[in-house]
Amino acid sequence: MAKGRLNLFWLMACLALVFTSTTPLSAASLFGDDWETFFKDKVSFHGFAENVTGLSVSHGDRHFNTSNRLDMQRFTIQPEINVDATSWAKFFISWRFVKEIRYSSEAKSRERSVSYFPPAPVKPLPNSYYDEYRPKPWEAVLDLLPTDTLKVRVGRQFISWGETDGIRLLDLINPQDLTFSPPVAPNLFSLDETRIPSVGLRTLYTIRPVSNTILEFFALPGFFDEAKQRVDEIVGSNDTNDRQVRYGRWSAHPETRLVLAGRNAFGNMYANPLNPGGCVGLGCLVIPSTGRELPDAGDSWKIGARITNNLGKLNFGLGYIWGFNPQSTDMVFKVKGVRCSAGSTFPCAVLGVAPSVVDLRLVNDRTNIFAGHFNYPVGDILDIPVNTTVRGELAYLPDKPYNIAKFPGAFGLRATLDPRHPSGVVEKNTLRYALGFDRTTLIPFLHPDDPWRAFSLSFQIFQSIIFDHEDGIHPFSTAEKIQRVSTTLTFRIGTGYFGDTILPDVFVAYDPEGYWAANPAISYVPPGNEKLKFSLVGAFYGGRNKFKSFGFFDEKDSVFLKMRYQF
Amino acid sequence: MTKSLSAICRAFACSVALLSVASISCAAEADLKPGDTIGPQNWQRAQGMVGENFLNRIKQGHSIQIKAPKIYRPLKEYLEATEKYSGKVALGPNGELLNYVAGQPFPKMDLNDPQIGQKLAWNFFWRWLGYDYKTGGAVKGGKIIRSVIEKDGSERRADLVSYFLFPRTRYTSNPKPAIPGYEHIDYMQLRVDSYPRDAAGTTTLEIRYDDPKKSDDLYIYIPSIRRIRRATTTQRCQTLAPSEFNLDDINSFNGKITDFNYKFLGEKKVLANLSQEKLPFDRKQGDYLPLNEKWEVVDTYVLEITPKDPNYCYPRKLLHLNKMSFDTHWTLIWDKKGDYWKEQFGNFTPVKLQDGREVWSVGDVTIVNVQNGRSTIVTSTRSYNQGYPASMFSLATLETVMRGGSIE
Repeated sequence: MAKGRLNLFWLMACLALVFTSTTPLSAASLFGDDWETFFKDKVSFHGFAENVTGLSVSHGDRHFNTSNRLDMQRFTIQPEINVDATSWAKFFISWRFVKEIRYSSEAKSRERSVSYFPPAPVKPLPNSYYDEYRPKPWEAVLDLLPTDTLKVRVGRQFISWGETDGIRLLDLINPQDLTFSPPVAPNLFSLDETRIPSVGLRTLYTIRPVSNTILEFFALPGFFDEAKQRVDEIVGSNDTNDRQVRYGRWSAHPETRLVLAGRNAFGNMYANPLNPGGCVGLGCLVIPSTGRELPDAGDSWKIGARITNNLGKLNFGLGYIWGFNPQSTDMVFKVKGVRCSAGSTFPCAVLGVAPSVVDLRLVNDRTNIFAGHFNYPVGDILDIPVNTTVRGELAYLPDKPYNIAKFPGAFGLRATLDPRHPSGVVEKNTLRYALGFDRTTLIPFLHPDDPWRAFSLSFQIFQSIIFDHEDGIHPFSTAEKIQRVSTTLTFRIGTGYFGDTILPDVFVAYDPEGYWAANPAISYVPPGNEKLKFSLVGAFYGGRNKFKSFGFFDEKDSVFLKMRYQF
Repeated sequence: MTKSLSAICRAFACSVALLSVASISCAAEADLKPGDTIGPQNWQRAQGMVGENFLNRIKQGHSIQIKAPKIYRPLKEYLEATEKYSGKVALGPNGELLNYVAGQPFPKMDLNDPQIGQKLAWNFFWRWLGYDYKTGGAVKGGKIIRSVIEKDGSERRADLVSYFLFPRTRYTSNPKPAIPGYEHIDYMQLRVDSYPRDAAGTTTLEIRYDDPKKSDDLYIYIPSIRRIRRATTTQRCQTLAPSEFNLDDINSFNGKITDFNYKFLGEKKVLANLSQEKLPFDRKQGDYLPLNEKWEVVDTYVLEITPKDPNYCYPRKLLHLNKMSFDTHWTLIWDKKGDYWKEQFGNFTPVKLQDGREVWSVGDVTIVNVQNGRSTIVTSTRSYNQGYPASMFSLATLETVMRGGSIE
């Protein structure tokens, strides 16, 4: 009931914005010529309808137990309305409606075929998990220009900082929905399709236009945003009303991987010495009871400021973000306590047994992020035509939380609680940076019909450095250690053939520890219809183990057919 | 087969080159009068006055009619600025413009001047264009309509708008003659795509500096990542696919003046359309030829442009500059093998300033790639002197482009 009222509020608010920010209202002109002219000249209607069909390459693998080879059947329709109301006010609103037909079948299949352990809290997603059909706008922003140099944007919006492509580093302001999209696959769903808009305010004040000296401030209260949206791709989270942990389509399905004595053993992460009393086999397992702890309404604020400037050819920005880091891979499990067994109400000491259940809460801690980014075009170096744009960004997180554990445990158990850090969490100084090199290159023999149609090339290096590194730091989802320095390299190449009716694009990512991801795509735009686009996209992964980096997803190889109609 | 095609192409190119340069005083051109019709039976009458590809279409059956010339008058304030400032303007050792403030840099043309080519180029660059304009602003719907036509006749459409600001040559609008802080900038341009939806919002900010050694700045806002990307200026030469234009083809020639060499090839009468009847012009679906439009005989200067950079895409480009306005009517382009490559013609149309005075604006511009058979038509009539603030041409505008592409 309360949700219904909220939806109604959104609808009414949007309509009110459209009407109040437009021409003066008078009874005589309400539906007369003035309004007709207004709608004709000032209002435009666009959007797209899209169908994505995914085919699992690894169908039948127990780690990717889809009901059949079809692992995605996603239909999206997104109407968008622009209102250029006045010279100082503009309005944009869109809705996103999504129906996934196939997932229900996959969910049922997984429910039948996977033996969950522990059986109660870990369940597949509801069949309608990926659906979106609420009247709440996807994006709804009112742009106000009180002066030539001040721009104010209010509403549910996207704010993107940084320079990287395909992988986010500073782009931490809006969360990203990674449940429906395969990871590291920007050729299937772009960042614009996977970011989740947040309600808030953004202002840009141009101090000196000629040098692009711009002061930016944003504030996102957070409590307007629904918890369901905060989901992740690596392990399940319980951002649903019942707060049960659930796994997205592209989650690593650890319940089917950490197998001990024929049973899955998610509890491998937390074992001895919680239960050190001479355990044998399954008796050594400590069962994690996981839940998701969401920030309270007042704690959800995210605030940031940035100044950008041009200095000669150098364009740079410096900023600061305070708030919850929405990156799913930055979440941590916080240990809330240990118990004897699931369901038992007696303390362990009363029962005279060692604890065997650890209560975990998946949290996004509040973080300080100091941000910087730059770009610089390089022409010739020593008469060699480099013709490359160098771009970089860095994020310094002085108190970045990590999970920490002791390694190794007994019976192949990977890790256990570290007595030095009873919460299982430690904060470390972390620097992340990315350097990118973009250039366009002519390869005439590959373009016989148009030798001046260029190839766009992009190379990026990402590194994360934990300055006060400590042995035992690991991602929340697995017991694989994080090294002091982690590196990822990406490369992208794209071009167009036959008047850009055939558009190939390949994105690859490589982790020098031995992992890779490839996302090739080829699109066809019919020469007689600019509204249609058909894309064949692959998402392939590999690595030396299944619990780290892109190796998480190495049974998730899929190919997709994406059909889009723009209106 | 390929060889023979290549040979035909080369012969074709040579004939175009010869025609465009040597036929300066073609006997046929003087005979054309309003009411005359040129078609396959008398195509020779248009020989040397249109691009060779266009002439071939006439030979194959297309007919055009001649009309009386449309006379435009230069704006009083432009003439005043020319008179006031041109006396001190000179060329530097590298062809750069010295002491230029506003107006036409070189109003007195001595056709025997060894530097006449360079001076024509500067006259073209600083022709009257108002102190700002919106390309597409005078088209119904307020947007440029771009139609890409494939060899088989299939078409794709795109809509966009483009805003130009000339911040340092202002003689009619305060602050004069330059916006403080912008004295070093020749122009700034914002180009915003608005259709189809996936391209909508793609916005480029281009800044041309007066320093001959400083390359242009080019920033691109990409909606699919909602971020601004810096582009290298080598992209100026690359095809703006799917169209047949590149960045330097905008306004017929948009290269940096000091990056090229210029040679005056003579005066010439060409066929052009200075008062386009309909925007966009009538045409058959899948073909670029304008129907129901008449042509007039126009006096032009022929200017040959060759790049200083041997790797530049166009080793040779010919502009036919209107003697009064210095706008271009026909632009002919050859490739590195010397083969005829592209042919571009621009129609013009009268538009009104806000004070009611009539000026001219480009109407439909057509570029044809004779080698791959593709063509592009842009309907791009301008609205001048809109009063755009300089702050509009900043990265803050790119940061807040809406999905539909509205920035004004």
